[in-house]
Amino acid sequence: MIEQIRATAREILQNKTVDLVIGYEVGTRGATRPAFICSADEVDRLIWNDACTHNLTNYVRGKRVPPKRDAPPARLGLVLKACDARALNVLLRENQVPRGDLYLIGVVCEGMRQDAGFATRTLGDLQPRCQTCTERVPVVYDSLIGERKTSEVFETSEVWQELDRLGVMTPGERQAFWDAEFARCLRCYACRQVCPACYCVECTAEQLDPEWVGIGICTPEKRFFHTMRAYHLAGRCVGCDECARVCPIGVRLDLLNAWFRREVQQTFDYQAGIDATTLVPLATFKPNENLEL
Amino acid sequence: MNFITHVQLQDWLARMMKDRTVIAPTRAIEDLVRYQPVNSPDAIAFDFTRTAISPKEFFLPASEAILTIERVRQIAAGSNNPEWNVKLGEPELDRSQVLFAIRPCDTHALLALDALLLQEPVDAYYARRRKQTTLIGLACEHPGATCFCTSLSFAPDDSNGMDVMLYPVEGGYALEAQTEKGQVLTDNLALAPYRGERPQKTWLPAEFSVPPRVVWTQLFNDPHWGRLADRCLSCKICAYVCPTCRCFDVRDYIVAQGLGYQKIERLRCWDSCMAEGYQRIAGGHNPRPTKAQRLRNRFYCKFDYYPADFGALACVGCGRCIEYCPVNVDITEVLQSVAIKGETLATNSTRL
Repeated sequence: MIEQIRATAREILQNKTVDLVIGYEVGTRGATRPAFICSADEVDRLIWNDACTHNLTNYVRGKRVPPKRDAPPARLGLVLKACDARALNVLLRENQVPRGDLYLIGVVCEGMRQDAGFATRTLGDLQPRCQTCTERVPVVYDSLIGERKTSEVFETSEVWQELDRLGVMTPGERQAFWDAEFARCLRCYACRQVCPACYCVECTAEQLDPEWVGIGICTPEKRFFHTMRAYHLAGRCVGCDECARVCPIGVRLDLLNAWFRREVQQTFDYQAGIDATTLVPLATFKPNENLEL
Repeated sequence: MNFITHVQLQDWLARMMKDRTVIAPTRAIEDLVRYQPVNSPDAIAFDFTRTAISPKEFFLPASEAILTIERVRQIAAGSNNPEWNVKLGEPELDRSQVLFAIRPCDTHALLALDALLLQEPVDAYYARRRKQTTLIGLACEHPGATCFCTSLSFAPDDSNGMDVMLYPVEGGYALEAQTEKGQVLTDNLALAPYRGERPQKTWLPAEFSVPPRVVWTQLFNDPHWGRLADRCLSCKICAYVCPTCRCFDVRDYIVAQGLGYQKIERLRCWDSCMAEGYQRIAGGHNPRPTKAQRLRNRFYCKFDYYPADFGALACVGCGRCIEYCPVNVDITEVLQSVAIKGETLATNSTRL
């Protein structure tokens, strides 16, 4: 598979289909990390393994900005897993990048391991989201690498069970649960920075005029930030769980976003990123909509 | 030097907790050891290499009202004109605290912070907390996977800056009071003397050294910084887990008001040069608009600017930023590639 990824990357760089390929490489201390390949000579840096957990669509918007003024935006090649492909559809649906400027190297993914992407952590079991992933094959790609296994056993997600546990709590208990999570938060914004769907030029949590929330690193401000972010992601979050992976103090953002994902799915029968055309339930206004609750 | 058993140590800590705040490593959640105030010695986690978050938060809290202003409008007796009666308040800083089981790297970091924050103009809040805090050091037993203090000429069993130092030995700890503050704390301990030499371990030798400032100056515009920043997320994890990153933002907030009454807080909170808005100034100009400029600043601050201005490295080799960076920006990789580039520059210039 690695050879196929490299060959595809070499080809699209050589024939100038793209200016840059974003994939994965070996970092220090055995870590797997995002790689940015500008020339065909460098493609041998590209790898594929069960630690390629980063959602590379997060880099698409930033990397399209041309280095020189008046130059055209960069065309990008992107190594893409199934979950990443859905995140890309969200960006395409929201007109953040034209499809024609991208070459998508879809990879059939058999799941990523826990603690992937960090310098010293030992890889654990399959990530919970991967244990229950029934996709494996990206929903959008230009060339597909790898083949889907014919028989696979899917487990029920622990996350759904945890959501059920939260669901039977009283609102007060649920608030206490989340406040305990948010209390640890450092407000480092890693969750927002790593999120492909969090691309606002100015974040509500940092806006100065008007200032919606102060600079305090205290529970009320953090509660505001995380709740606001979860609402803005409702119907847009694809569940790549990068926010939870990067959090240095283990705030259960995967659980928070899963709550909204389940809610959107049950209410609107909608799953984010399945295609790039369906209207997004909470980000669409229809003139004849019934606004009475 | 004295010998203290684990049971005696627990007793001593329990007694300390009666009249002081004792801050010690605790398991906040599974896999997350963090310094927190504790009420019982049982809550202390002894099996840790170093904590996830540095103890700097007990000297420079993440969020603190450094000034409160309360204004009440009153009419004085015999007067018809209402006047504002203003009362100023400061945070409570006078309770003594003990920081138990601080690692030598984190104490080196405090010494580095002292170089800036205790020089004129003194940071009054930091200074008061430093004065009120007794540091009980605990020598490392095993270096962590990302530790590199020896490469910065520090040692994992260095007692420099500690008030009391503990060295793990067979059956307990060798204990040594280092300062008067430490002496006060250990005075009424009836301990057996520790027989033998100060326990010493062999540590991994230095793997590399910090390139001299001249190299940093030469490499300021090197394209390497841009490539390094490609994967950087511009989040603040590295700065917030770092024991020496000390930047903050200050803003005033009206926290309560009513007719003839107002309460204002001056809030000081952590901030970091990694964040896009950190340098933005009035009018909206941002002198460091790109990710590459911001990431470069992190390393220049630690190894070039801070040593030049305050005489100490602003890095102690704790390795937290390496461990928590989700995209593997590795400060030791940066130091080594700067060193290699520096050597290339030197060879080229002799050839010229």
